[in-house]
Amino acid sequence: MGLATLCLFSLAAVGQVLAGQLTVQSPRLSVIGKDASIVRSEPISLAAVNKAAPVHLDSTETLKLAFTVVAKDKDPNVESKNVQPHQTFVRFYEKLSGEEGVVPVRVTQNGKAKFELNLARPPAALPPTPLVQNKTNPLSVSLLLGSYSHSPFKLELFDLYLPPSQPAPEHPDEKTFHPQPEIQHTFRPAEKLPNRVISGVGALLVAGGPWILLLGLLSHITISLPYATSISILPFTLSLAAFEGLLVWYWADLKLGEVLAYGAILGLITAVTGKTALSKRGAWRVQGAQRK
Amino acid sequence: MFLKRAAAFLGLAVAVAAKSSTGDSVLVVLEPSLDRANYSTFFQGLTNKGYDLTFRSPKEASPTIIEDDVAQFSHVVIFAPDSKNLGQDITPQSLVSLLSKGTNLLLALSPKRQTIVNSLAAEFSLILPPPGTPLISHFPERDTPATVVPVSPSSLHPALSANLPPVWFSGVPFAYSPNPLLVPLLNAPAESFAADTTSDAGADAVFESSDKGGEGLWAGSQLSLVAGYQTTSGARATFVGGVELFSDEFAQKEVAIGKKSGNAQFVSDVAAWTFQESLVLRIDEVKHHRVNETEPGETYTINNNVVFTIHVSKFNPTKGAWEPYSGIQDMQLEFTMLDPHIRTALPPVPGSPGEYSVTFRAPDRHGVFKFVVDYKRNGWSHLQSTTVVPIVPPRHDEYPRFLSAAWPYYIGAISTSIGFVLFSALWLAGDDRDAKKKSTKTE
Repeated sequence: MGLATLCLFSLAAVGQVLAGQLTVQSPRLSVIGKDASIVRSEPISLAAVNKAAPVHLDSTETLKLAFTVVAKDKDPNVESKNVQPHQTFVRFYEKLSGEEGVVPVRVTQNGKAKFELNLARPPAALPPTPLVQNKTNPLSVSLLLGSYSHSPFKLELFDLYLPPSQPAPEHPDEKTFHPQPEIQHTFRPAEKLPNRVISGVGALLVAGGPWILLLGLLSHITISLPYATSISILPFTLSLAAFEGLLVWYWADLKLGEVLAYGAILGLITAVTGKTALSKRGAWRVQGAQRK
Repeated sequence: MFLKRAAAFLGLAVAVAAKSSTGDSVLVVLEPSLDRANYSTFFQGLTNKGYDLTFRSPKEASPTIIEDDVAQFSHVVIFAPDSKNLGQDITPQSLVSLLSKGTNLLLALSPKRQTIVNSLAAEFSLILPPPGTPLISHFPERDTPATVVPVSPSSLHPALSANLPPVWFSGVPFAYSPNPLLVPLLNAPAESFAADTTSDAGADAVFESSDKGGEGLWAGSQLSLVAGYQTTSGARATFVGGVELFSDEFAQKEVAIGKKSGNAQFVSDVAAWTFQESLVLRIDEVKHHRVNETEPGETYTINNNVVFTIHVSKFNPTKGAWEPYSGIQDMQLEFTMLDPHIRTALPPVPGSPGEYSVTFRAPDRHGVFKFVVDYKRNGWSHLQSTTVVPIVPPRHDEYPRFLSAAWPYYIGAISTSIGFVLFSALWLAGDDRDAKKKSTKTE
C-alpha cells in the first residue's frame, strides 16, 4: 500500500528523469506438446481484466513465452523503440506457502525475448509444488521489467498448474517448533475377575459343605458341656476367640508392628488364663478317674 | 532549532524505560568513517530507553568485548562495514563465545567487502551474494538511486509494531537455508535483486549469473534484509544487510509526500528484539504432586494421577519487569523415559495468570521418568524444563484387596478359625467320658 502511494506521488510530484515507460509488444503464450504439437497458443493481453486462463502443464509439455520489450515515449507521436532492459524476470509465486522463484529471461539487443519452461530440465529456481490435500496449488506467474533508464513494468501473466513435486526441504528440528502430535499411553486393561455369583457359590460350598457335615454328624451324638461357663475355663476360651479376632483384624486393617504388640499383650493374658484352665482340666480328669 | 531541542526534551521526559531483560550496557563498535552524529536518532533512542552506550572504534584496544573469558557488556553493536580488521578481541570465535555467554549481537553486514561479520553470517545459515553486489530494485519508480530501496515490513510479525510505514534500505540481501532458529525481520521486495551492474548494459551479466557457471541470482521476496537468530543459549544475534538503515538520513527521508519513513520505529523494534526486550519468556516455577496432595512426592506409583503445574512469565519492557503470562495456547508436556510415553497439552489455568496445569495418569510402566517442557516457537525465547521423578511399582500393601474372586478363600480361612475356637471350647468345656467308659469296661 505504501509502495503504491509512493509510485503515485513520485510520478506526480517529481520530475521524471527516466526516458520512457517499458512495456511488452506482442506477448505470446504457447504450450507445446510432446511431439511438437501445439496444445495452446494465444496472445497475452496487457489488460488485467483479460488475464489468460490457467495453464496446466504436465511433464511432457513445454511452456513458451515470447515477447518484445519496447520503451514507449511519453509523447505519443514519438515511436517506441526496442530496448534491452536491465531486469527481465519471470517470477513464480505460490501464495499459500510463500514459495517463490525468479528466473531471468535473456533479451537480445533488439528487445526480443523468449522464455521456455520444460519440466524435463526445470530451472533451479522453480518453486516446489507438493501435493496438498491431493492437489497441487497454482503458481502465479508474472513478468518484471526493470531498467536504469526507463520506468519499470510489471504484468501478471497467468496461473500455472505443475505436476506434483517433492516438498521443499525442511530442517530436521522444524517439527519441534510446532505442536507435536499427542501421545496417549495404552494402559494394561484392569484384571478381569470371574463373576461374583460363581465366587459366591464357591464361598458357600467352602463354608457350607464341611459345616453341614459336621453339624449333621454332631446332631447324632449327645453333647454335654458341664464346664462351659466355669470361671476357670471361660476366660481361656474367650482369649482363644480374641486371638482369632486379632488375626481377622490384622488381615483387614492392622500393620505388623501393631499386631505384634497386641499379640504380645493377648499372649500374656492367654498364657495366664490357659495355665489356669488346663491345670483345672487336668485336675478334673484326675478327679474323675479317682472317682471311678 | 529550539523546536527540535524542545521535541527532544519532551521525548526524553515521556520516554518509557524500555529496558532489556539481560542488562543495559551496550558496546557500539563504530568505524571512524561513520559519524556518530549521523546515527543520532538510533543511538539517542537507545539511550532514552535506558541503555548505557559505550563507543569504540574497531582499532582501539579497549574496552574489549570479552576479557578473561567473561563478557564485558550485555549487548554488542558492530557498525563497521568497511573495516577488514575489527581489533584483536573481535574474531568470529569470540563473537560466538559471547553468544554462548548470553550477550546479544547486532551486526551490520558489508555490501562492498568480505568482512568478519560477513564470514560469520555463513555460520548462521545465511547465504550472502558475492562482495560488491548490493540490493537494487527498479520498482517502484522513485527519485532515489536503485540501491536505495523502500521496503514494507510485514504487519503480522510479532516483534515489529503494527502498520509500520515503508522502510528505506540500502545494503546487501541474503538468502537463508531453512533453519527454525532464524527469525526473518525484514524480507526483500518481490521485484528486487542483487546486482553489481549499474546500467542497462549489464543485462547479460544479470542473466548469466543464474546460469550453471554463474554465481547465482539473488532475487525475490525469499531474500531477507534483516534476520535475527535465536540461539539455544538464549542470546540473540541480528544480521542487518546495511548500516544506512539506522541512519538519520533514512529516518527523515519521506516515503510519500508528508509521510516519513518507518526507519526510526523499525530499528527501535529490531534493537528491542535483539536486546531481549520483546518476546522473552521464562519459567518461574515448576511443581508436581499427586491429585489430592500439595507436596511433591519423592516417588510416584504406577497409575497414580499426577498434577503438573508450571508458571511462566513474559518480560514487559515498558515496566522493565517480568509479568505472569497466560497467552501460550499450545504448550505441551512430555512425560519421558528415553522416549515420550505421554505428550499432552498444557493449557493455561483460567483465573490464575501465568499458571499452566495438567492432570494425567502415570503410565503403568515403572522407571525413572522426566517431566519435559520444551516450548520453542520462531521468534520467541525458548522455555526448557526437565524434572526427574521415579515411578515405582506398588508396594506389597498397595495392591487391590478383598477381591470378589477370593471369597471362597476368605470364607475358608475364617471358617477354619471358627472351627478351631469351637473345638477348643467344646474340648475345654466337655465332660470326661473316658473315665466312665473305662469304669464300665473294668466292671
